[in-house]
Amino acid sequence: MATLELVHIVKKFGEVTAVNDISLRVEEGEFVTLLGPSGCGKSTILNMTAGLEDVTSGEIRINGKTVNHLGPYERDVAMVFQNYALYPHMTVEENIGFSLRLRKRPKDEIRERVRKVAEMLELEQLLHRLPRELSGGQQQRVAIGRAVIREPSIFLFDEPFSNLDAALRIKTRGEIKELHQRLGVTSIFVTHDQEEALSLSDRIAVVRLGHLEQFGTPEEVYARPASKYVARFIGTPQMDIFSGEFLRQDGLYYRIGKARIPLPASIQPPAAAVDMGVRSEFVRLGAQGFPAMVRLVQPVGPFTYVTVEWQGGGVTARVNGVSHLKPRENIRVEIDPEGVLFFDRGTEKRIDL
Amino acid sequence: MFSYRRYLSRFFIRLGLALFTLIALGPVIWAVITSLLPLSALTSRPPDLNPLNLTLENYRLVLDSSRGLFSGLINSFIIATFTGAVGLVIGSMAAYALARLRMPGSGTILMMILATQMFPGIVIAIPLFLVMSRLHLVDTHFALVVVYLSFTLPIVIWILKGFFESVPMELERAAAVDGASPLQTFRHVVLPISLPPLFATGVFVFIESWNEFFFAIILTRINVKTAPIAIAEFSGQYQTLYGQMLASAVLASVPVVLLAIIFRKFILEGFVEGAIKA
Repeated sequence: MATLELVHIVKKFGEVTAVNDISLRVEEGEFVTLLGPSGCGKSTILNMTAGLEDVTSGEIRINGKTVNHLGPYERDVAMVFQNYALYPHMTVEENIGFSLRLRKRPKDEIRERVRKVAEMLELEQLLHRLPRELSGGQQQRVAIGRAVIREPSIFLFDEPFSNLDAALRIKTRGEIKELHQRLGVTSIFVTHDQEEALSLSDRIAVVRLGHLEQFGTPEEVYARPASKYVARFIGTPQMDIFSGEFLRQDGLYYRIGKARIPLPASIQPPAAAVDMGVRSEFVRLGAQGFPAMVRLVQPVGPFTYVTVEWQGGGVTARVNGVSHLKPRENIRVEIDPEGVLFFDRGTEKRIDL
Repeated sequence: MFSYRRYLSRFFIRLGLALFTLIALGPVIWAVITSLLPLSALTSRPPDLNPLNLTLENYRLVLDSSRGLFSGLINSFIIATFTGAVGLVIGSMAAYALARLRMPGSGTILMMILATQMFPGIVIAIPLFLVMSRLHLVDTHFALVVVYLSFTLPIVIWILKGFFESVPMELERAAAVDGASPLQTFRHVVLPISLPPLFATGVFVFIESWNEFFFAIILTRINVKTAPIAIAEFSGQYQTLYGQMLASAVLASVPVVLLAIIFRKFILEGFVEGAIKA
């Protein structure tokens, strides 16, 4: 187990800056996700941590020791790749045991350790197969086995689920979480799937265009996003953000087109323009509030997402269970002031009011 | 109705394949038959195909005689083996570099490599002869190896580049994370999975060099006559010894056929893998 520190990491490919001054610290045994869209630099951060790519400037420290000049192996990290990168000409047993064979461990020890890992990952029956004879999920487990057998101080995962179908993805997610709970090894996990990040991580680092947008627990990035970008990136359905304005008229309101949303009087509206965001679970449909018309009804099982609109605005509400609302139906909308967030329209940062 | 159509289409596919096989194999079969018949049986009209005439006399003659077939085979073997070996070493390194390293102008380099293939041999034959004769290389193994490399290397590079590109970069990265040095990565990961395409291209180069006639006749005199030239010499000004000529041809194809049979699995795999991305 180890701590990992990235200190002002910069990576340039020619003129392009892929990673721009990223600093973060991962505690011992922590599970941290690097979350961002493709091309945001998250995989580059992982590759630099692994030692597969040089940093342009900055320092990488493992257990407080600078490892910039060390090769991947000397850093004592293990990595699971997106396409698994199993050696196609080696059996499952040889794949898992490859790192030990390179280290010239005694044959008996290798066999024993491979057996243990295979047992843990339910691969015992497959040890003599070649990768191409395995299903996607099995290949995935072999890739994990190859990382686990090393007993490394840090695990690195590069979008390991992206080649799996949806059902298998959720199952494997659970397996990885269990594995982490059991081994307690510091883990860095790269993904573009916010749900994956929320469900797995102790903390999430949201990466955008090579810089760190926010680094916090799943609860923090979900409930208190640092910026409009994070607010929109995290959560399904996407948070609704309005470019309206404050209105003081026997009480404080936020006006979105024809709708006026009442707010607690304690809020002090600033001089600068402010956007307001709200997640679907804080929007209520019923007999109270301002009038609107149903536009779209989307059942997803436990919930139904109902999108309503009015002149100058629209919002999506989460309704428990099945909704009997029909499109074009008239309804009233209430927004819970507890759930609203404010963003500076200029800087796009969230502000506390 | 449906199964009838399927039956019909299968029939035509098989008919096509049979025709193709016949066209491809016809000359080979004729060569083998001719090599087994005495000249008198061949020159009579119509040719006397009586199986009782079959004889190994032609084979005995070409192997015995001072016709130079044997030394031709040796020369061809030396040249083809060297061309194959050197071509693989240089070609695989070039292909690997072009596939893996970020190099300025690698696209241009690739196009230039391909462009060398666009001149018909006849265009460069005379300049090439002049160069070789100035360098006193005419009638040496070296000259032919160099010339054959210049034809085959571009193809080797293109095929192997396609293959190396199809090998995921992550494999090498995974090996590095597993603690393999670059040399170990090459030895334990890259080399084993590259064997099929390496064999395939190696055999391809060997066969190309083995069969080549045009440059061999221009660049050799007495010392390094290759097999195809030795075979051609059976056709004289006054008389063509068909039986002996084709017996030589059959003998000369034996190594190629053997290579193809031994490495059949590799050649198929290799060309398929190279072709997927090439």
